[in-house]
Amino acid sequence: MSGSLQRLTRSAVLTALALALSVAEGLVPLTILFPLPGLRLGLANLVTVYALCRLSGREALLILVARCLLGSLLGGNLMALAFSLTGGLLALAVMALALHLPGLSLFGVSIAGAAAHNTGQILAAMAVLGTRAPLVYLPPLLLCSLVTGAVTGGASILLVHRVPFSSRA
Amino acid sequence: MKRFLPFLLSIVLLAGCTPQQAATEPAQVQFFAMDTLMSIRVYNEGGEDAVQAARQEVERLDKLLSRTDADSTISALNSHAGDGTMVSLEPEVTQLLSFAKSVSELLPGDFDITIAPVMDAWGFTTEERHVPSEEALSAAMALVDSSLLTVDESASAARLERAGMEVDLGAIAKGFTAAQAEAVLRENGATSALLDLGGNVTAIGSKLDGTAWQVAVKDPQNTDEALCVLSLTDQTASTSGGYERYFEEDGVTYHHIIDPKTGYPADSGLRSVTVISSNHMLADALSTALFVAGPEEALDFWRSRDDFELVLCTDDNRVIVTEGLEAGYRPAGEDRGYTYEIARR
Amino acid sequence: MKSPAAERRRPTPWDAVVALAVIAFAVVLIVLLRPTQGSAITAVVTLDGEPVAQYRLDQVTQPETLTVDEAPYPLTISIEPGRICIDHSDCPSQDCVNTGWISRSGQQIICLPNRLVISLSGSEDEEFDAVTG
Repeated sequence: MSGSLQRLTRSAVLTALALALSVAEGLVPLTILFPLPGLRLGLANLVTVYALCRLSGREALLILVARCLLGSLLGGNLMALAFSLTGGLLALAVMALALHLPGLSLFGVSIAGAAAHNTGQILAAMAVLGTRAPLVYLPPLLLCSLVTGAVTGGASILLVHRVPFSSRA
Repeated sequence: MKRFLPFLLSIVLLAGCTPQQAATEPAQVQFFAMDTLMSIRVYNEGGEDAVQAARQEVERLDKLLSRTDADSTISALNSHAGDGTMVSLEPEVTQLLSFAKSVSELLPGDFDITIAPVMDAWGFTTEERHVPSEEALSAAMALVDSSLLTVDESASAARLERAGMEVDLGAIAKGFTAAQAEAVLRENGATSALLDLGGNVTAIGSKLDGTAWQVAVKDPQNTDEALCVLSLTDQTASTSGGYERYFEEDGVTYHHIIDPKTGYPADSGLRSVTVISSNHMLADALSTALFVAGPEEALDFWRSRDDFELVLCTDDNRVIVTEGLEAGYRPAGEDRGYTYEIARR
Repeated sequence: MKSPAAERRRPTPWDAVVALAVIAFAVVLIVLLRPTQGSAITAVVTLDGEPVAQYRLDQVTQPETLTVDEAPYPLTISIEPGRICIDHSDCPSQDCVNTGWISRSGQQIICLPNRLVISLSGSEDEEFDAVTG
C-alpha cells in the first residue's frame, strides 16, 4: 500500500519536473541560436533517463506519456503531441536497450536517446505531412543531437548520482 | 569539480554549433496591393525596418489612390464628377493628376486616365470580362476626356467636369508608388534594394557587390521564358503587354490595355513595351501609352527625348532595343524565333 | 537489475562508438538525400500570405493535384515532375489559368481574386534578380 503510494507520488513529482523542464526549455529556444526546426536541448529526457536508471521501464513510460499529454494541454497542439510522443517513445525504447549494453556510460545512452528522439520526430512529421520533405532536416538534427545528448548525458550523471533512489521518500 | 567538465565541454561544443550568419538573404516582404502582387527586397544588412516602412507607404498610397475603395481620395474626386465642386486632394495626388494630364498632352489619344468607364464596360475592373454592347461602349467613350479634368496645383484640388466621368490611376499609380517607396527606403538607410510592383521593377542602387541588377523582360508569347535581360541601376523597368490580363470571346482574344481613341483593346503591332527610366512614374505611364501608340510612334517619341529607353516586342517577332541599353543588355530569345535590332537616334 | 551505465561517471570508449554511429547515420542520410539530378526546385503555394502547401518539384515522381477549397474562388493546382500550374479556377479573371506551367526558379503564378501565389525557388543561382512584364 505504502509502496504503491510512494511510487505514485514519485511518478507524479517526476512528471511535474519533466513538464517544468520542457516548459523552461521552451522559454530559451535553441532555434534562435541555430535555426533548425525541431531542435531543442531535450532536458525532459533527463527525467526519462533518471526513471530508467532508478525506477523502472514501466514508470519511465508512464511519466513520459503523462508528460507529453499534459504538455500538449499546456499550449501545444495535436501535431506537437504526435511529434513529442513519437520522439519520446522511440528515445525511451532506444535508451532502455542502451542501458543494458555493457560498456556505455550515460553519455552514450543520452546521445543515442537524443538521436532516436529526433528520428522519431521527423518520422512523425513525415507521417503527418504525408511527404518525405522533413527528412532533409534529420542529418543536421542528428549532428546536433551529439551535442544535446552529451549535455543531457552529463546532467543525467549528476542527477542519477546526486539524487539516489530512496525508499524513504 | 571534474563533474562539471562535461558541462563546460558541451557548452563549448554548443557554441561551435552556431552557423555563420547568411548575409546574402535580403529582408523581404510580398503582399497584395493596388490589385497586384508586390514585393520589396532590401539587401542591406538589417533592412527589415526599411522593408516594413516601404510596405506601409505602399499601403497608404493604395488607400489614397484606389478607385474601388469608396473612402479613397480618388473616389471622392470621382463621386463629385459633374457637380462643379473642386475636390481638395493631397498635394501628392494633385501632382500625380497633373503628370497624367501632361502625358495625355504629350501623346494625344494614347493615354488617358479618364478611361475608367470604358474599363468598367469591358468588365476589367471587378466583374466578369465581356465584350460590351455598342451602346454601352459609346456611352462610356463619351466620358473619356482628360481635358475635362481640371487640376489646380496651387490649391491642391481637382474637378471632373462631366457627370459619370471617372479617373483610374492604374496606368501610373505603380510608378508613382515606386518613387515614394524608394524615398522611404532611402530614408531608412537602404541603398541596395529591388521593388517589384506587379511586374514594374524598380532597381534601387546596385547589388551589394557594386554590379548592376539583372532584370529579365518576359517573353510575351511564352511567359516562362525571358525575352532579354537588362542591367539596371537606379532605374525602373515597366512593361505593358496584352498577355497578362485578357479573355477570349467567340475565339477572339481581348486584352486589358484599351486604346482611348477606339475604346477597344489596342492593336498597334506590339506584343509588349518595356520602358526603362530613372523617372519611375514616367516609365510606368509611358509603357501603357507607347503600347497603344505602336512601334513607329514609340520610336519617334523616344528620339524626341533623352530620359528613357525602350524594349519593343513586335507582332512580327522583332525585338527593338534602343541604343542606350545596348551595353548592358543580352538577348535571350533567339531560339524562339526572335530577331534583335538596336534602334539609333 | 541495475544497469552498469547508470553507475559510471565518465565517458567510455563505447560512448564514442555510439557518437560515431550517429554521425555515420547522418552521413548516410545526406548521401541518400542528395538530389539525384538537376537542382532542387521548391514550389510554395501561399493564400493571402499564409503558406498552404509546398512541393519539391524535382522530387515529384507522380502527377498529383491539390484542390484549394478554402480560397474565395476554389481552384485546382496540378503538380508534375519539375513543373506546376493552376489547372482550374473558379475566379472571374482566369489570368492564373492562362499563365500555364511554370518550372523555373523565380517564376510565379498569381491569382489576384484569390490572393493566391505559387512561387518557385531553387538552390541554383538565378540568372537574374527580377522579372518585368
